[in-house]
Amino acid sequence: MYDIIIIGAGPGGYVAAERAGKMGKSVLIVEKDQLGGVCLNRGCIPTKTLLNSGKLYKQAKNSAPYGVHAGNVSFNWEEAMSWKNEVVKTQRNGVSFLMNENKVEVLKGFAELLEGKKVSVNGKIYEGDSIIISTGSAPFIPSVPGADGANVLTSDEILDLEKLPESLAVIGGGVIGMEFASLFSNLGIKVDVVEMMEEILPMMDKGHARVMRREMKGINFHLSSQLLKIDGKKLTYLSSGKEESLEADLVLMAVGRRSNTQGLEETGLDIHKGKIVVNEKMETNLPGIYAVGDVTGLSMLAHSASRMGEVAVNCICGVQDRMRYNAVPWAVYTSPEAAGCGLTESDAAAVGRKVKTASVLMKHNGRFLAEHGKSAAGTCKVVVDAETDILLGVHLLGGISSELVAGAAAMIESELRVNEIKQIIFPHPSLSEVIRDAVWAIV
Amino acid sequence: MAEQILMPKLGNSVEECLITEWLKNEGDTIAVGDIICTVETDKAAVDVEASAAGVILKILYPEGEEVPVLNPIVIVGKQGEDIGNLIVTMEKNVDTLVPHDASNETKSVPSVVTPGPGDVLFETEPAPVSMGTKSESGFSSPRARNLASAEGVDLSVLSGTGPSGRIIERDVLSLSSVNAPASAAAIEKMLSSGGIRPAVGSGIGGRVLSSDIISTPVSSNVTLDAETKEIPVKGVRKIISDLMLKSLTTSAQLTLNSSANAENLLKLRKRLKNSSDTLGLKRISVNDLVMFAVVRTLKDYPELNAHFLGDKIIQYGNVNLGIAVDTERGLMVPVVKNVENLSLKEFADGNRAVYDRISSNTILPDELTGATFTVTNLGGLGIESFTPVLNIPEVAILGVNNIQLKPVKKDGEVVFESFIGLSLTFNHQALDGAPGARFLQSLSRNIKDIDLLIAL
Repeated sequence: MYDIIIIGAGPGGYVAAERAGKMGKSVLIVEKDQLGGVCLNRGCIPTKTLLNSGKLYKQAKNSAPYGVHAGNVSFNWEEAMSWKNEVVKTQRNGVSFLMNENKVEVLKGFAELLEGKKVSVNGKIYEGDSIIISTGSAPFIPSVPGADGANVLTSDEILDLEKLPESLAVIGGGVIGMEFASLFSNLGIKVDVVEMMEEILPMMDKGHARVMRREMKGINFHLSSQLLKIDGKKLTYLSSGKEESLEADLVLMAVGRRSNTQGLEETGLDIHKGKIVVNEKMETNLPGIYAVGDVTGLSMLAHSASRMGEVAVNCICGVQDRMRYNAVPWAVYTSPEAAGCGLTESDAAAVGRKVKTASVLMKHNGRFLAEHGKSAAGTCKVVVDAETDILLGVHLLGGISSELVAGAAAMIESELRVNEIKQIIFPHPSLSEVIRDAVWAIV
Repeated sequence: MAEQILMPKLGNSVEECLITEWLKNEGDTIAVGDIICTVETDKAAVDVEASAAGVILKILYPEGEEVPVLNPIVIVGKQGEDIGNLIVTMEKNVDTLVPHDASNETKSVPSVVTPGPGDVLFETEPAPVSMGTKSESGFSSPRARNLASAEGVDLSVLSGTGPSGRIIERDVLSLSSVNAPASAAAIEKMLSSGGIRPAVGSGIGGRVLSSDIISTPVSSNVTLDAETKEIPVKGVRKIISDLMLKSLTTSAQLTLNSSANAENLLKLRKRLKNSSDTLGLKRISVNDLVMFAVVRTLKDYPELNAHFLGDKIIQYGNVNLGIAVDTERGLMVPVVKNVENLSLKEFADGNRAVYDRISSNTILPDELTGATFTVTNLGGLGIESFTPVLNIPEVAILGVNNIQLKPVKKDGEVVFESFIGLSLTFNHQALDGAPGARFLQSLSRNIKDIDLLIAL
């Protein structure tokens, strides 16, 4: 009998296990594949490692304005992949260490959820006081003719690519699609992006998304386009009522991810549209059973999963806690980078909330200018409640945006208002000052 | 040499008083006898007179602070005198209360530590309070108890910062406020919309956010062209407000209505009014006569002369009569004690003395407590019947109404006679309708035959 049984050792599961173990609970974590889940093995970590290699290559080729002349710059995919594997392995060992350190029992196998808070793994039955389901998600493959072709990959397989393609078609202009598009484009490969909606990256400020596309000069964007079929290297899509086609060596299917609720349908769990329904304490409809992370379909980001895992563990241990979604930061590690937290202007308009906004260009920021030059794209926009001046959203494009949003999250969670943020001291010279400047620009 | 003015001891049972209003400021010159502030206990609001003259050098506690009796509240001396040493000495002597700078808004909050997975909520200096240890003296002030039950705070986990470790109101306040900090935006919304602050919010660490504030405006939506007046609820008004609500929500009260033939009472009253000055009976009022009848009737009905205390009922052998008096400061109920065997004259004289003390504002808190039964008279204002509210824990209160003519059959004819209305509210938790009605019936008889009653 365990205090907590956790199904799935991704960022939701293993963080929950770490916290619970530290609080003295007896924890069993079951993982069918590898510790760290998708994030560590086939998601966040490997992609950011490869993206960094791609960015270094691009920077090296464009470093002359800064007095750096790197002749014969070349990119070796095998070596980049080797480094990526090394990083993933190191991180995985780290998770293993965390489990040991917190006396969490790790079991390899597929956990089947049975009645009465029991799970069956490899033929053996285990019982828990509480169960946390953190089975995550997997790439969704639409039923388009040719989608099962040999040259059609998802993010899982493309991270094991042995040889770079001549050309790549990315189906889906979301975070995953755009990051791979950016990576391969940086490596000099011809990239086409086919996106069904009117704009890429739906969580982004619409103006920023437009600028991003403009900056990604090597990528051809086909928006409001619906993929019809894949025939070898030929892709046919519908655009403005007309059938168009393009050619690509390799196709990356990145149209979304579906929650891993297979095998849970008969358990009595409340599952809606393939996702497990939970409340703000991550409780499901079954007493003592919690669900966190991608399997809930809510805020499908690794850091959200981790926080959800902590909320579940806190609630199990009687500590008051709840999950909030109004200040979850997100980042896209493309070139240029983009990141944000909170409401965009269009989000606010959609719910009829009156807001004020202000934008500043990053090139007015000392550090940005020094490091990116006069013509690099970069903006910071802040969204503020029109009546109360409470900060609702911060949206960034350019520079190292991904590192600035944690500060924005803290400010938004605290309901800080414009006049209060003006009293916070930001270091100089740093890119973070653009947030301050944008707040000062609010009228 | 600077002198201290102490919080006065206002009654045997009074251990601390709450400062409701400062009527003087630091820097003001005062003379002995000047009223420097008003304070309140659970029963009364009282003016505090200066016992020393000079310039107020320091006001030691702000409004709203509860101070144990006989503790210094003000330092008086010469302009510019250095009182640093005096304050240091005082800090050492006053065991647990920390003197405030009156201009300093922040209260010193006891530090609170929650048991459980190392979850420290909030910590400031200086007075140490730790949860999980019972308060030394094991008790708390009535104000603290009232607030704790209203806020759902468990007193047994607090230690107090009052005298001898007693839990006082601010200890309960600090616990309830520490549990849920609010964002500045939320606080502003609460103040402007009059919305209700929940105990816990949806923000980080249970922070109350503006989205948690349900703005049901408690302020009036009425806009008038004429000038409106806003009156803060404090002092006597607040005491009555809390007590009346508590009475109605914690007892099962109902009212029996009856009337007593007042012909003899009115005749007696006329004779007394026209009597010789030397007898001292001229000022005996209708109310005196009715109350006299009540007191004498109570002797035969101990179940109406009682207190209901939840798990027991105490019936009293003597009658302490509470007399509701309408004053400009609101309703006050002075108590005349041990009156069951007094003659009518002694009884009336005692009442008169008490009314005088009320009007001259020299009534003491001890004289406002300890009633076993209360009478309230609205007859002079034309009231025919009403539902007086119990002065808990008393089990009964008699409302006296006006005198009206009623038809009665006498010698085969119908004639009109004067009857005085009686409205008896009683607590059904303590006694039932029939005994209540029997008392009322007996009282009616005693009023009807008041001229004979005074002989007994």
